[in-house]
Amino acid sequence: MSAADKQRVLHRETHSSRAVVATLAAGLVVVLCAYGLLESAVHAIGQPAWLIEPQTAAERLVALPAGVSPLLLGALGAVLAMIGLFFLLNAVLPGRRARHVLNSERPPADPRSGPDADEGGMPGSGGTTDGWDSPAVVVDDEVIASALARQARLAANVTPEQVMVVVSRRQVIVNVRPTSGVPLQEAAVLAAVEAELGEMALVPTPEVRVNLASTGVIGA
Amino acid sequence: MTSTPVLLNRILVGILGIKLLAVGLFLVLLATVPAVAAWWHSWSADAWKGINQAFNNTRFPGRPESWLWIVLVLVTLLLMGLMVAWVAQQGKGRTNLLVSGDDAREVAGDVQIGGGVAEQALKHALAERPDLAGATVATYQVKGRPALKVRLLPRQGVAPHLLAAEVATLVEALDTVVGQRTPVLIHIGAGARTRFSRAERVR
Repeated sequence: MSAADKQRVLHRETHSSRAVVATLAAGLVVVLCAYGLLESAVHAIGQPAWLIEPQTAAERLVALPAGVSPLLLGALGAVLAMIGLFFLLNAVLPGRRARHVLNSERPPADPRSGPDADEGGMPGSGGTTDGWDSPAVVVDDEVIASALARQARLAANVTPEQVMVVVSRRQVIVNVRPTSGVPLQEAAVLAAVEAELGEMALVPTPEVRVNLASTGVIGA
Repeated sequence: MTSTPVLLNRILVGILGIKLLAVGLFLVLLATVPAVAAWWHSWSADAWKGINQAFNNTRFPGRPESWLWIVLVLVTLLLMGLMVAWVAQQGKGRTNLLVSGDDAREVAGDVQIGGGVAEQALKHALAERPDLAGATVATYQVKGRPALKVRLLPRQGVAPHLLAAEVATLVEALDTVVGQRTPVLIHIGAGARTRFSRAERVR
């Protein structure tokens, strides 16, 4: 498989597939349809309606602003609009997951030799995976944060509770609360975290910011 | 890694969202703006008349029912079937075979290696690592060819790039055993098991 396939898989892994929302939407439609079927079936065999007769429902709908209190109608509309907005935003927003791609490729020292040069090697036995030689790696931001927190803690020589790291797409924020009376070099923490980040080679590369708390922790 | 129809999901969810949003906003307007209510009255009365007319024109000869009901029921059933089919597409893509092909020798026949070989081998190799809280391996089909997805749950503080490099060597060993390079995706994730387990202090 080619490098393009690898990129495609990585993109799919770092973005939401909206499977849950899609299942919710499908379930909603199925439930509505099932209710409509139920009412018309009940009507067809001449039984009293379960909730409302289809004919009556349609007549009420036609006469709508009358018959219902405006407050109830407005509230119903607002709830429906909210649900609709939820689905719409889920569909329109990029849906990025809190993950980074870990670039395990060898550095681009060797020139790119024809991306799809040997397409279709022997199928089955010894087929090549041109372009997808090294594994594609995706890391949750939480894992990155805990690894960076460990480095920061070692560099600052504090306990794990005194370090908190937040990793977002383009930014890493390291919050350190120093031990009272023990001076702390911000540059040392920054260097340690940046070295670790450099080894990880994340895509996209986040920027590091170190916040030293002005108050210390006693007896840590 | 799965063959979830991402674009279809976005489109269908978006359509449903727009419809619900429009209906909701319309109801709010109906409740608050009198002009909208007047317009709706005139429009819906006409539409209702038209619908009634359609039902009257499509009666079975000699009976009071219209065959439009049957059409409506069929359309509803079709819509439900489509929705079920849509849900069934989510998260598909698992496969059983890691290698399947002719080995091109004199002996007739195909060579097939089940995905379980890779899954069991990798799982076993990863099971004894103290820095992992868990690992799962699954075979997926990507563009008609098998690929492995390795999901690792490292304990807190484990450097992900080192872990990925070590798993990559394991995968390479597996490739030599199987005799074919398999595309691999490594997902290093965090879950409840890693969050509440002790931090890794050995390495």
